[in-house]
Amino acid sequence: MAFPTLQPTSRDFSPGDWPIKRFNSQSGAEVRILYGSQRTNAKISLGYDNISDTNAQLFLDDYAAQIGTLRTFDLPAAVRTGWSGSAGSIDAPPGAKWRYESEPAVRAVRPGRSSVTVNLVAVI
Amino acid sequence: MAKVYTGRDGRLLLDGTEQIKVTNWSMTGNLETLETTSLGDSQRTYAPGVQEFNGSATLLYYNDGTGRNDAATALKKVLRISGVTDSDTVTLRLRLTDGSTDQDIALTAYITSASFGASVGEVSSAQISFQGTGALTAVTI
Repeated sequence: MAFPTLQPTSRDFSPGDWPIKRFNSQSGAEVRILYGSQRTNAKISLGYDNISDTNAQLFLDDYAAQIGTLRTFDLPAAVRTGWSGSAGSIDAPPGAKWRYESEPAVRAVRPGRSSVTVNLVAVI
Repeated sequence: MAKVYTGRDGRLLLDGTEQIKVTNWSMTGNLETLETTSLGDSQRTYAPGVQEFNGSATLLYYNDGTGRNDAATALKKVLRISGVTDSDTVTLRLRLTDGSTDQDIALTAYITSASFGASVGEVSSAQISFQGTGALTAVTI
């Protein structure tokens, strides 16, 4: 089972950050220490509005196949549809993969039609 | 035979009874659309959603001498002491007829608005609005 190859109707991406620890002295001086070489905690939220129930079912099936938030996976190029920059810019950082951050939310719109929201987080 | 329909050909039936002294009726059908445009599309796309039907009519406040007053009957669907219940629907049939063939739209509806009044120099009339519930029950237009 792979993540559904459907074009989203909305996409929110945040690139995450490198693991940095900040120390502040009493004087106010700030020191930041880099604890890793890879960006972490990138997130992507995908909306699929008014899709068929059959397609909505694909997300539930994939969520079950990934054992919920346990397994990691790659995203298909269809997720980045409409993005004209480099694909890697809105994908998981190198060496990282996506996993479900929370369960997919399926909202029934009318008989046979649903809207799905999927929240994913990139993990190393 | 070619025919242009006019107000003379209009009829309004409420619960199977042709209403007297109807001056106008109109109805509108709407289809809600659900947008299915996805990222990367250049044109919007839609899927059909739910439909609704509503309209309005005007009846002269007219007593035919036998005690029948269709405007009052319609008005009392809303202007009443007791509340409106689920069973207070009416069957409306909006008709254009050429004498031998009827062009009908029939629906079950709630009377959602009723108003009437009196003005100097004017005939009193009742304006009603209706909201269809469920599918149309007949379309022979």
